[in-house]
Amino acid sequence: MTAAYEQASLFLEGGSRNRREIITPEGVPLPVEIATFGERATAFVLDFFIQFCATVLVYLFVIFVAFGSFLAFTKSGGAIILAILLLLAFLIRNVYFIHFELAWQGATPGKRALGLRVIDRRGGPLLPTAVIARNLTREMEMFLPLGILLSAGRGPVWEELSLAAWLIAFALLPLFNRDRLRGGDLIGGTMVVVLPRRVLLGDLVGQSSRYRFTDRQLDAYGAFELQVLEELLRRPNAPDAARLHREVCDKICRKIDWRTPVPEADTLAFLKDFYTAERAYLERERLFGRARADKHYKEGPAG
Amino acid sequence: MTEAVTLHQSAAASPASAEPTLKSSEFRKGRESSWRDLEGLVERVEKRGIAALLPDELQRIPLLYRATLSSLSVARSIALDRNLLLYLENLSLRAFLVVYGPRTSLVEGCAEFLRRGFPRAVRAAHWHFLLAIAALAVGAMAGFMLTAGDERWFSALVPGGLGGDRGPSSTRAELLDHEIFAPWPGAAAAFGLFASFLFSHNTLIGILTFGLGLAAGVPTLLLLLYQGLMLGAFVALHYHRDLTVDFIGWISIHGVTELSAIALCGAGGFVIADTILFPGRHSRLDSLALRGRMAAEIAIGAAAMFFVAAILEGGFRQLVQSTELRFAIAGVTAIAWLAYFGFAAREPRR
Repeated sequence: MTAAYEQASLFLEGGSRNRREIITPEGVPLPVEIATFGERATAFVLDFFIQFCATVLVYLFVIFVAFGSFLAFTKSGGAIILAILLLLAFLIRNVYFIHFELAWQGATPGKRALGLRVIDRRGGPLLPTAVIARNLTREMEMFLPLGILLSAGRGPVWEELSLAAWLIAFALLPLFNRDRLRGGDLIGGTMVVVLPRRVLLGDLVGQSSRYRFTDRQLDAYGAFELQVLEELLRRPNAPDAARLHREVCDKICRKIDWRTPVPEADTLAFLKDFYTAERAYLERERLFGRARADKHYKEGPAG
Repeated sequence: MTEAVTLHQSAAASPASAEPTLKSSEFRKGRESSWRDLEGLVERVEKRGIAALLPDELQRIPLLYRATLSSLSVARSIALDRNLLLYLENLSLRAFLVVYGPRTSLVEGCAEFLRRGFPRAVRAAHWHFLLAIAALAVGAMAGFMLTAGDERWFSALVPGGLGGDRGPSSTRAELLDHEIFAPWPGAAAAFGLFASFLFSHNTLIGILTFGLGLAAGVPTLLLLLYQGLMLGAFVALHYHRDLTVDFIGWISIHGVTELSAIALCGAGGFVIADTILFPGRHSRLDSLALRGRMAAEIAIGAAAMFFVAAILEGGFRQLVQSTELRFAIAGVTAIAWLAYFGFAAREPRR
């Protein structure tokens, strides 16, 4: 990865995204973006809600059947129904997370809504054991202490306080490491990334070139400026696009010492031609080992 | 990458013409259709799952994925089109997740885990398991000696809720009738006992024993010792009333499974503690990812064992009313577990 490319990403998208690199088994590094705490919390709330609705539906069914068979009115029937309900809740919430992460390549409905994916932290295949481990750990992190805390009222105060501290500590754990890992990710060796869908736009390289530039003129810029120009040309009809194009055009003319004035109507054509020529020049230079990162590039002793 | 080399050579051979022909543009024209093809397939998998693809499409995905990865490598070295690079990176990552995503369903994954993963993980951690067993045994011995010397230790070691109405004031007849040979309460109550395992004391202890391995294993060790202490105290209480053999029979019918499960949770905790204290050649986080999975496998398997123990406790303990038969069942479970952990999915030695 070239420095110019990173510089352009930083300049155009801001440095707010937490980026990592994984190496695929084929040995190609791929950049990934770590999901933020907020995105993961939102996804979890969505999943929890869906899973909760499913549990309630199943509960209604069980209670309906129980009353139908008069089981509820026998002496120990209540205890049995309660036990069945607890067991069902346990099964539904674990089957829900594990099933979807296995069937949907590391996404649950909540994660999919937010474009999140679970991946192996070292770029290997996502193993079923890792999925099972990261989800069953949630039981220890969260549901078990929560269940005790909610059902309690009889335990001593220090016990409830320590359970609450446990819950908070595990819930906030992702904030205290760079990869935003929760306990289950630590143990399963996984991490959660954002996977936006990018579209391949048309090539900007024009066919007809009315404007010609000399190598000396093209020397003025580097890859970083080229990619910023690309972004400007690709931006779909921004309100002040015409003004921006004009400003950039004037700036380029001054920089490369372009004497003949460019007419107002030709601004875009000039910029496109300049982009094409600049890119052709920089790519050719790069093949010869002179990678011009930006306009401050100086020929090194090796070049 | 041969592709890159040939491109490089052709670029060097052709003089810089006045009309700029962009290698990266031509490169893109030649390969765009295969990227689009892959994108369409990946999109369908993301929407409708891997089952939505026809067999020949399924075969095409890995080939297209590798071709795209190679395109990405070439593009990185020759192209300055930022949109193209971002697109190829994104497409490669999405295809990577499809190609290397989990291929097993929930049921297959669980079966595979029980058949191979769990016994392998336990075998790999046999030293940690032995350490946990030793901690339990030391605790039990200490508890026995303390309580045998002075029965007031019993109330100090065993919390009120767990001891029930058993304690220094219990008589031999009470223990026999209400505990060891208490009548079977019937299927309903037995089932209630079985299912309440979810929030039962032992599962919680097991999970805590495992989870607190993160605190360098000290709480794990203490919890194991304490479990042993309580067991020892109970044995001593019955020892004074000449019920040692009957009590051990009563407890071993499910205790073999349950104590093994607790020891396994402890072993999992020790594995985590070991990784944190002695990360070896990797960083702490990396080695936790490598071995934490194994520790989690042990703990998950142990949770399943608690399940089995609860069935034995709820269903069989009071149904089987003879000490000899109880020992027989305990012996069978012990042999079954040993065989399972010792021989399941063992690879032939080369």
